[in-house]
Amino acid sequence: MSTRSLVLIALFTAIIVVLGLVPPIMVGFFPVPIHAQSLGVLLAGVVLGARGGGLTVLLLWVLVAVGLPVLSGGRGGLAVFLGPTAGYLVGFLPAAVVTGWLSDKAAHRITDRWKLVASFFVAAAAGVVIDHIFGIAWLAFAASLTLAEAVIGNLIFVPGDLIKAAIAAYVGLLLTINFGNRIRIG
Amino acid sequence: MIPDAKGDSPIHRVPPGAKLLALFALSVLLFTLTSPVALSWLSGAIVAATLLCCRAALVQWLKAWPLLLTIAALGIWTVFARGPEAATIVLLRLGSLSLFATVVTVTTSVGQFIDTITRIAHPLERLGIANARDIGLAIGLVIRFVPEIRARYRNVVDAHRARGLKLRPSTIIVPMVISTILCADEIANAIDARNIRGTPSKRN
Repeated sequence: MSTRSLVLIALFTAIIVVLGLVPPIMVGFFPVPIHAQSLGVLLAGVVLGARGGGLTVLLLWVLVAVGLPVLSGGRGGLAVFLGPTAGYLVGFLPAAVVTGWLSDKAAHRITDRWKLVASFFVAAAAGVVIDHIFGIAWLAFAASLTLAEAVIGNLIFVPGDLIKAAIAAYVGLLLTINFGNRIRIG
Repeated sequence: MIPDAKGDSPIHRVPPGAKLLALFALSVLLFTLTSPVALSWLSGAIVAATLLCCRAALVQWLKAWPLLLTIAALGIWTVFARGPEAATIVLLRLGSLSLFATVVTVTTSVGQFIDTITRIAHPLERLGIANARDIGLAIGLVIRFVPEIRARYRNVVDAHRARGLKLRPSTIIVPMVISTILCADEIANAIDARNIRGTPSKRN
């Protein structure tokens, strides 16, 4: 791996950490708080591609596991990997990899801007769905809920997460226009 | 932001790998036990051991209130949906698991953890997937650049305020990410110039 790729991965992890430190941003007609940390994960997938996005999440996991308070609300330490919402954290990895893989494909083939932003949105939305599947599965197991109950408890987060996917697609488009495919780590 | 792992209890001297294995074994055990009586014995033992060996962990555990809040919310919900017995099981499981995980975190320094992770990553290095020493470098880079990127975020927010613009995620994140990516080359060159990775430099 080139030093530049290593630095980009570290910088994106730092961006995810910073997005967890900032206060949630209100979005929409009826305000939905956007906790920006999972936005950072989608962004890493869209911008850095499958390998870069996956490595970014792995680095974030390492920081959480060694006990640094890098998740939103100053959470960190091994307890986070075993709490009721650990599935979302674990789901970050497949989410970033799938989002990255899909947007890698899109970025190499599509040149039309509207089509590109639409396919980035689809990629990020796929990432959101995968993250939620992991989150729901672990919540249902750890709290012995039925799947239906866990899905219902999960539904409040869906609108906010779709907005995040849209923001990730928009930012991904602007970055692809600015930097081309140079920053994809393959 | 780096937690302090000073102290000298018996748990501090256990190698980190063993502690991680114990945590894994405990999580399996807690999720296989279904009787509240057995669970409360186990949780009681964990709390007692924590009080005896490592009180700092208990303080740290209480400080992690966002996590405790989600566990409590889940407990309250379970009381209404399933009854008090099921709620006790959920609370004992998640509570004692998070307490033991906090004990492991508090009694292990960041340096020890990084050493352990590097050792675990050595087989990967032989397969050519990753360079184990890069892990330590990457962690250092993140810790170094979090304050910097945070300052950058503040600058963008201040610029919005000065111009009377509404704070929108897209207009904040785009300049933040672009300026961060622009400095990646400089940092990479600085690392290569000092030969920190000890390998001939390769460019993308």
